Amino acid sequence: MLLPDHEFLKPASLAEGLALLAAGPGARVLAGGTDVVFNMRGRLFTPPAVVSVRSLPELQGLHERPDGSLDIGAGCRLTDLLADPLLARHPALRTALRAVASRHVRNLATLGGNLCLDTRCWFTNQSEDWRAARGPCLKTGIDACHALHGSPVCVALNNADTPPALIALGATVTLASVRGERQVALRDFYRDDGIDHTVRQPDELLTRVIVPPTTDRVVFLKETARQGMDFAYGTIAARADGHGARAGRITLVLGSLTTAPVVLDAITTRLVADGLGDDAIDAACAGLRAALGPLTNLYSPAAYKRELARTLLRRALLALREM
Amino acid sequence: MTDGRAPPPGPGLGVIGRRQPRLDGFDKVSGRSVFADDIELPGMLHGRILRSPHARARIVRLDTTKARALPGVKAVVTNGDAPDLVFSERQPLLAKGFVHYVGEEVAAVAATDPFIADEALRLIEVEYEPLPAVTSLRRALQPDAPLVHEWAAGNVAVTHDRDFGDPDAAFAESDLVITDEFRSPVQHNTLAEFHVAIADFSNPDKLHVWTPTQSAPMYQMALAKAFGLESSQVRIVYGNVGGAFTGRGRAKPHHFVAALLSRVAARPVKIKATADEEFIMFRGSGETLYRFRTGVTRDGRIRALELDVTFDAGAHAEWAMILWLPALYPNWLYRFEGLRYRGRFVYTNTVPKGSNHGGIMGRMSAGWMQHLTRVAEELGLDPAEFHRRNAIEAGDHARDGSDFGSCGLKECIDRVVERSGWQVKYGRLPPYRGIGIGIGAQASGGKNASNDTSAAMVKIADDGRVTLFTGIPDLGQGSWTVMAMIAAEVLGIEPADVNVVGGDSDIVPFDWGAFSQRGTFMTGNAVKVAAEDARAQLASVAAAALGVQAEDLVFAGGRVHIRGEAPDAPGRSLSFREAVAKAFHGGEGRYVMGRGFFNSPRQSGSMAFSFGAQVAEVEVDPESGAVRVLKVTVAHDLGRALNPLAVEGQLDGQVFSGLSQVLYEECRMDAGQVLNPSRLEYKLPRTWELPEVDYTLVETIDPYGPFGAKEVGEGPIVVTMSAVAAAVANALGEPLPQMPMTPWRLLRVIRHHRRRRARGAPGAAPR
Amino acid sequence: MDAKRETPPAGRSRVLRLVVNGDLHEVLVTPRHTLLDVIRGELGLKGTKEGCTTGSCGVCTVHNDRGEAILSCLTPALEWDGESITTIEGLESGGRLAPIQQAFVEHHAVQCGYCTPGVIMSAQAILNATPEPAEADINDGLAGVICRCTGHIKVKEAVRNAWRYAGGAGPAPGGSHD
Ligand SMILES: Cc1cc2nc3c(=O)[nH]c(=O)nc-3n(C[C@H](O)[C@H](O)[C@H](O)COP(=O)(O)OP(=O)(O)OC[C@H]3O[C@@H](n4cnc5c(N)ncnc54)[C@H](O)[C@@H]3O)c2cc1C
Ligand code: SF4
Ligand code: FES
Ligand code: FES
Repeated sequence: MLLPDHEFLKPASLAEGLALLAAGPGARVLAGGTDVVFNMRGRLFTPPAVVSVRSLPELQGLHERPDGSLDIGAGCRLTDLLADPLLARHPALRTALRAVASRHVRNLATLGGNLCLDTRCWFTNQSEDWRAARGPCLKTGIDACHALHGSPVCVALNNADTPPALIALGATVTLASVRGERQVALRDFYRDDGIDHTVRQPDELLTRVIVPPTTDRVVFLKETARQGMDFAYGTIAARADGHGARAGRITLVLGSLTTAPVVLDAITTRLVADGLGDDAIDAACAGLRAALGPLTNLYSPAAYKRELARTLLRRALLALREM
Repeated sequence: MTDGRAPPPGPGLGVIGRRQPRLDGFDKVSGRSVFADDIELPGMLHGRILRSPHARARIVRLDTTKARALPGVKAVVTNGDAPDLVFSERQPLLAKGFVHYVGEEVAAVAATDPFIADEALRLIEVEYEPLPAVTSLRRALQPDAPLVHEWAAGNVAVTHDRDFGDPDAAFAESDLVITDEFRSPVQHNTLAEFHVAIADFSNPDKLHVWTPTQSAPMYQMALAKAFGLESSQVRIVYGNVGGAFTGRGRAKPHHFVAALLSRVAARPVKIKATADEEFIMFRGSGETLYRFRTGVTRDGRIRALELDVTFDAGAHAEWAMILWLPALYPNWLYRFEGLRYRGRFVYTNTVPKGSNHGGIMGRMSAGWMQHLTRVAEELGLDPAEFHRRNAIEAGDHARDGSDFGSCGLKECIDRVVERSGWQVKYGRLPPYRGIGIGIGAQASGGKNASNDTSAAMVKIADDGRVTLFTGIPDLGQGSWTVMAMIAAEVLGIEPADVNVVGGDSDIVPFDWGAFSQRGTFMTGNAVKVAAEDARAQLASVAAAALGVQAEDLVFAGGRVHIRGEAPDAPGRSLSFREAVAKAFHGGEGRYVMGRGFFNSPRQSGSMAFSFGAQVAEVEVDPESGAVRVLKVTVAHDLGRALNPLAVEGQLDGQVFSGLSQVLYEECRMDAGQVLNPSRLEYKLPRTWELPEVDYTLVETIDPYGPFGAKEVGEGPIVVTMSAVAAAVANALGEPLPQMPMTPWRLLRVIRHHRRRRARGAPGAAPR
Repeated sequence: MDAKRETPPAGRSRVLRLVVNGDLHEVLVTPRHTLLDVIRGELGLKGTKEGCTTGSCGVCTVHNDRGEAILSCLTPALEWDGESITTIEGLESGGRLAPIQQAFVEHHAVQCGYCTPGVIMSAQAILNATPEPAEADINDGLAGVICRCTGHIKVKEAVRNAWRYAGGAGPAPGGSHD
């Protein structure tokens, strides 16, 4: 599994980088490379050019804005973020960052890369030789999905750990291109399509992540086969104001179970009304099935995922209640 | 050796029993150790194998023209280049008209660099006509299943049926008969060093192969046969071996393909498995179905046993040894009246399979010990007591002909019961906490698969330094260090003064290798004989110089002295170096070389068995299905711990691997393909998941073992797998019919409990 | 099969300037080379091993200029132009093992040795970040590697005890085999 041939471009400034992305159709952004190199080795994509962005000055740094929000460069390594005292105010985000892979990977991987991480599926995130046995799928060329037969869209998993936490924190991201800059709320960033899984346009670069200040209670939980070095079977980020069983505003985001992180709106509305009592929590868990929709057997069986989602929700709500 | 019986070792062993760090440690920790992939030979080419993407297909067209035309490509081979080369059973080395499994070798290329080889591979054009395939054991056994090979009716490749005693009568006389079923998955050996081979066949009279192996002779014989050579014309170089775990017992297609490419290109060729190729070619353990039946008396004596085992052999039955081993196994553990074994190998359109760490016994025991625990519990007996009551003892004569010169099985059970707090925990733990006990035995070599010879040589330079030549591969288990210790003990010198030369079949004397847990016992005995031969030569020289009889001399502490006198008595003793110098520089000019070999006087079976018992404690999270192993308490009767440091290393690795196999490891198969061909998705626990491990080494000083040693190479993992499985069953209150015991499988059981409990059914909660 | 001819690898070669273990190397590499390919192939430093090449086994671990563990198989070589890295060969000084290496020998934290260079580089990175590592630091710092032989048990013991071998107080290295 050698890297396929490509042109390696390392722009010195954001402007230069954006110009390269605008000029070369199909150019692939490379940040830490921990996912890009993996997928290129397997020839999941064979871009004509790779644009390395991790050292762009405009993508560096973590600072506090006057309004108390944190402004984080998309090129920041997960390791550096974990070491930064400014992040101490967001323990749930730190938990999510620490949950990513291993130290070895986090020493290369960037926040932007984690937010843009491609969806994963074990019929495609394989070597080219492996895929040859199955034939192509929606993602690799034809009209069929091996993971969910008959599905009109690719249902590969969004398996990244930080998106649920950052969505719960109300983060927004800055997307820059030669056409200008735009801000997108992270909860609107992801799409229910495993192929075009974000609203980012091919010529856009995710440059900054803004995390507004909060005094709310926030938790992040991740369930895996093993504690280190593992993609999640399921994650949840949960946030609430108030204390104890009372909350005026609740945000619940499930990750790694579906193609995009799932923000549980209907369930939270009821929880706000009923409070975080045992019965309300039971009712919320019971209502999860409808909110989640169909699940696939990718990486773990659908029935397990469904039960795991309930467990994660229950635990997150109980944890909030204790905070 | 007349009867192979060693004299009981006296007190005052100088080296044996010492915590000796490995002698090759410096090289290994500094990055100096050379593994096969680190070797670059002049002119070496890089080979790649084109594999079938289909589980079963006809090859309609195969065109290598474009690949051959690519600059830098030096050889392209297909079946036409070696049409008669049969790799194993009836499998041609490169597919002949048909392919029978995903990953089957179809063609191969060798080029001047890996990038060109990679590109050449994708220039080979193959057109397949897919055919109906049988990709699971279940399907293969159905009456309407397509046949993998037309010669094998019902897809059954081989069967092995064997009875000991009269099982029917024994079952008839039983008060209680219980049956259980179990299933184990496809598993990879997860050796650290991926499969790799460099072959140099530039000279048609000599084939050199650099590759990690557990048995150079087996590789030599297989390659020689395939290429029409004598074994000695094949040289296997296997200096450092990056783990094996039963995965390097037999030469695999890449060894043959590398040789073929090298013969065609007349240059050395390296083939190394790529990331997921490793999981396609590994030939580890296949899916296996077990049926266990046991008949017992009211007072808890085993009368009758039945084991019925169905193996997925893959597309070719390569490793029949695992078919008959389970028939023998119960004989080494329990006393009983009758045993029935039914084993069959079944063909499927999947890669041929062999074994995994723990052999067949490990995975079978994960089910069997759960079953026997249930038998005990149905009788109202504590399983520890049940095992103890039926355990064999030293002096027993088993129904398969085995004798037990030493046996610490009951002591092992007693030790783990005591140290684990079994009495206060068993049956008294809170819900979803579990404790389980397992026992096991393992042969130390034996003439079941080979004539089991090991040989060794020592030479002693006139500076007093010793070189030991041994064919035993060091897979990490530390055999070279322990062999140096044995030689040093015999010669009364330090292990650091023994230079071990191994890993080159042109140089070392014969040794079947490191499998069937034979290294310490068989090779250890051979090394001991060789060192004693050298010592006898030195003793006669020293005796003449000191004016005493050779029998009166003692070799210890780097000196040769007279028994009963001070080791450094002036004029009455010599340093070891002086003794050697006297031999070489004295009138005789004797250069001391010792030689020896060891072979069991038994015509079949093994001379010695290790025994073990372990208790595992686990905690199941009833909401997520996750299992945590809290503690494993180990007692192992290994005869004698020659190097306790290395023994602990063996135990650690096996406890880890054992719990890993029972709880995590599984090739998730779909249509003949491994869905998770990576170290990331093929789960193994890592640092966070380690349990506390408590060991007791039970030293029974085997009468035949070198200094009383038996094996510790694969015995413990069988027991870990038993204990962990039994503990999970204990936590859930019922046996688990399948491993690995993943969160979703446990949740399924727990969900049933909940439903039953909701209906108010009895026995719903675990205990 | 679409047998598309590709640009020969040498087509896009560029000079990579890389400091390895304190020595500056200038090597011709292509975008197809990973850092691991350069270390083992172009520079011939075979101490660093190649395993899964996809980030999951850790045998390719080397240090960046901050002494942090990174996976050389997961990063393109050209990313490292102008940077400095350390490999297992750079850990010892003057033929004397680093304390962590000595600890691995003494505590039998090495068996087959194939994972060992990567595991030791990972262990050293833990010590670089936390000279007196807590259990969680050790677990976290070693979760990226897999050592089947030792089950990580004695590896962790060696990391906990590495300090004992500092200051040249450790016993001399044992004999050696090729
Ligand atoms: C063994 C292993 C285990 C892993 N385990 C986990 C895990 O547990 N949890 C987890 O979340 N992830 C895991 N990952 C995936 C991955 O390593 C991480 O998600 C990492 O954070 C990705 O960051 P990166 O900078 O390396 O991304 P890259 O590989 O550089 O990029 C990832 C994707 O994002 C795009 N991209 C990167 N930066 C930008 C940007 N600024 N603007 C626009 N697009 C961009 C790239 O084009 C690419 O599509 C694992 C990976 C490996 C190899
Ligand atoms: S989910 Fe379906 S379409 Fe998407 S990558 Fe997997 S197989 Fe292809
Ligand atoms: S080779 Fe780099 S992590 Fe396995
Ligand atoms: S020593 Fe063999 S894998 Fe670590």
